[in-house]
Amino acid sequence: MPRFAPTAITGLGSLSGAGLTLPESMESMFRGERHPHPPTRFSTDHPVSYLVLELRDSFKLPLDESENIYSRTCQLAFVAALEALTQAGWDSETLRGKRVGVCIGTTVGCALNSDDFYRAYKEGSHPDIRIMQRFMRSNPAAVIARQLRLDGPVQSVVNACSSGTDAIGIGASWLRADACDIVIAGGADELLRLTYSGFSSLMITDSQPCRPFDVSRKGLNLGEGAGLLVLESEAVRGEKELLGTVLGYGSACDAYHLTAPHPDGVGLKLALNEAFTAAGVTPADIAFVNAHGTGTPDNDRVEGRVLSEVLPGVPFLSTKGYTGHTLGAAGGIEAAFTVAFLQRGEIPANIGFTDPDPELLSTPVTGNTVIDGTIALSESLAFGGNNAVLIFGKGDH
Amino acid sequence: MNVKEKLKRVLIEDLNLEDLDPEEITDDMALFDEGLGLDSLDAVELVVIVQKHFGVEIKDMVESRPAFQSINTLAKFIEERMS
Amino acid sequence: MRIGIQGVGLTGGFGSGVDSLQAALQSGKVVTQQREALHNGEVDIYPAYLASLDRLEEFIPKRALRRIDHCSRMTLLAAHLALQDAGMPESERSRIGVIIASGYGPLQTTCDFLDSYLDFGYACSSPTHFSNSVHNAAAAHLSMQLKTTAPSLTVTQFEMSVPSALLTAQQWLIEGRVDRLLFGAVDEQCEVLRYCRRQFFAAGEQGPLQPLAFSTQSAVVGEGAVFLLLTRDEVAAYGHIDEVRLGNHSVAPLSLSDDDLLILGADGHKECGRWYTQAARGHEVAAYAPFYGSFPAAAGFDLAVAALSLRDNRLYPGLASTGASTLTAATPGELNGRKLACLKFGSAGEYGLTRMSR
Repeated sequence: MPRFAPTAITGLGSLSGAGLTLPESMESMFRGERHPHPPTRFSTDHPVSYLVLELRDSFKLPLDESENIYSRTCQLAFVAALEALTQAGWDSETLRGKRVGVCIGTTVGCALNSDDFYRAYKEGSHPDIRIMQRFMRSNPAAVIARQLRLDGPVQSVVNACSSGTDAIGIGASWLRADACDIVIAGGADELLRLTYSGFSSLMITDSQPCRPFDVSRKGLNLGEGAGLLVLESEAVRGEKELLGTVLGYGSACDAYHLTAPHPDGVGLKLALNEAFTAAGVTPADIAFVNAHGTGTPDNDRVEGRVLSEVLPGVPFLSTKGYTGHTLGAAGGIEAAFTVAFLQRGEIPANIGFTDPDPELLSTPVTGNTVIDGTIALSESLAFGGNNAVLIFGKGDH
Repeated sequence: MNVKEKLKRVLIEDLNLEDLDPEEITDDMALFDEGLGLDSLDAVELVVIVQKHFGVEIKDMVESRPAFQSINTLAKFIEERMS
Repeated sequence: MRIGIQGVGLTGGFGSGVDSLQAALQSGKVVTQQREALHNGEVDIYPAYLASLDRLEEFIPKRALRRIDHCSRMTLLAAHLALQDAGMPESERSRIGVIIASGYGPLQTTCDFLDSYLDFGYACSSPTHFSNSVHNAAAAHLSMQLKTTAPSLTVTQFEMSVPSALLTAQQWLIEGRVDRLLFGAVDEQCEVLRYCRRQFFAAGEQGPLQPLAFSTQSAVVGEGAVFLLLTRDEVAAYGHIDEVRLGNHSVAPLSLSDDDLLILGADGHKECGRWYTQAARGHEVAAYAPFYGSFPAAAGFDLAVAALSLRDNRLYPGLASTGASTLTAATPGELNGRKLACLKFGSAGEYGLTRMSR
């Protein structure tokens, strides 16, 4: 496995239940706020109501409020892209003539998942064909490229819950390959009745606010949002402020089970090793870990054990209590958070955690914690046994 | 058809165990691991099967664990709640 | 750096295995199947290129398939055929990377999942269908069957899925993340998709497929899976992938080399057709969609045809009914060392160009 030069990060964007912009999310997390509630955008006849984290009511979709043209997922991705591009000093005019890649992770962003459409079809009536046309247009990476009129590689990564993390690792590799000069990379996912029902059927959702790494954890709260980074080649960046760097990426498959992680974290350890090698760092260099920490019994057990073994004593937290599990967006949102935490020199509390689980041999931070160091790690575990890890370096300030 | 027989039939159908005959599943055979060889994903599917075919609701996996040992224990669990 | 193609495996309307594809190309014959769908009391009869799974049990025991859906089954069959074609022993499979491109993912399984809660209530949502409806389920099943812990990736980019995923595949090999990689593409036919296509295109879906008749809608739905086993080796059983380029012709026009011999991903969709006439004017072109049908993953079959042509040093004829064209149809026959380039356009001018050589 090779070692790579760092990739420059010049823009960050994030929206989720924690806040509609990255600065707003940071402030609310450090204030220790979270707002889980039963879903308001759809109903089900589930006997139990599971909590979710939705975007604040005041949020308006930017391209098409009625969702006739683009899905909500694509529009969330677009909002995060604009936030990140603005910070990096780009707009569609200044990007003209540049080779710009877009690599976005998603789970539902390009799936045929309208149950209204399918219900009408099943009932033998003619469903609104505009829903199908919207589906044919709604691919988050393609929508960003189309709206901004970009020329370059476009890719929607559908690696389930590690998609956002994988997309950033892949985007960085495109810059190394000189396939483009700038990459917009991260993840986006909306909250749908389909995913809500699916996760409920797996019996890994919680009707209470989720409790990552806590002994009493019962499951996850779903969320929605998007988190994107702007990555630039050194030639294009020039003297522009460096917000942070992508130092390394690693991924590996458990090859064990469709839904359950390998009990010994085989794939996660391989992914960590690859990321360490790619970044040229050791576990001792890591200031903190942004864990996947969904709050499900299985995920947190495997992750907690691997952290205690590979990164003993390194402070870690899950931000899922603030954002919910945003599936394909999670890796993107948490990448933006991780870079912002490094900039601030502080991580917020792992909200939802109170009592340690003796099985885990590790505990997350329980309060806002000053960190010591310039390198951090973010990890994602996914359906299908995918594990993905990114290592970030601190920027100029 | 009694609960045990129906259970065997719907397990074969809904878990796609088409290579098995209902007679090959014995009443005391372990459902998971050795035995029938089911796993954690089958366990949550089993919750749906019990709801769909017997109208019996299982709220969490901790509650159901003792019932999910064999056809005997699961049939008993269902019969107690159906009546 | 060039990427070597060491093995090809596929299943589609022409049959299973690279020999079936070759036989179809040689004979110029492929038969579509008639499908029937009932909707709103109306019977819809339409042609389709459907994949066969007959050979799957050569590779995977029936019991292991019990929770594996059609999309994943096509994937497993094509991937195993590619490994067999490359003579890759089981002992060397534990670090094979997996990258899969799919335009739509497991459509039918998504419908099956929706059925489970629309028919029986939310409490009966099937976790098995849900898990298999996630787009990376096919890649997950493949990694599990091969017991490979190497990186795995699934890409969904509609018409651009194949070239987009191939760019990342090439990069993984060049950077040494993996030494061997199974690169594949899969899409399945499903009645809901057929319903929608009928609403969009009406009689334009009845065939025959005429890929070079760019102003006519003549797409015929297909399905299938294809895999290429890729390595960094200079010696390649089929040929090499030299370059993968992605962009948007409507933003920055694609410039081709004068001597590019193009295999077009044109598949009877009028919306995409206009881009080929703009970008490929003056070039010799061939198109093979009439052998496997119109679906996003078919761009992977174009790569397989190119690989086979390079191996056999022979440009195979397209079907007689490729249609009248504003472009020059290439003359079939010996390639004499000429390179090939697969060109795929999406409806908004986005393109993927894959240059290949012996």
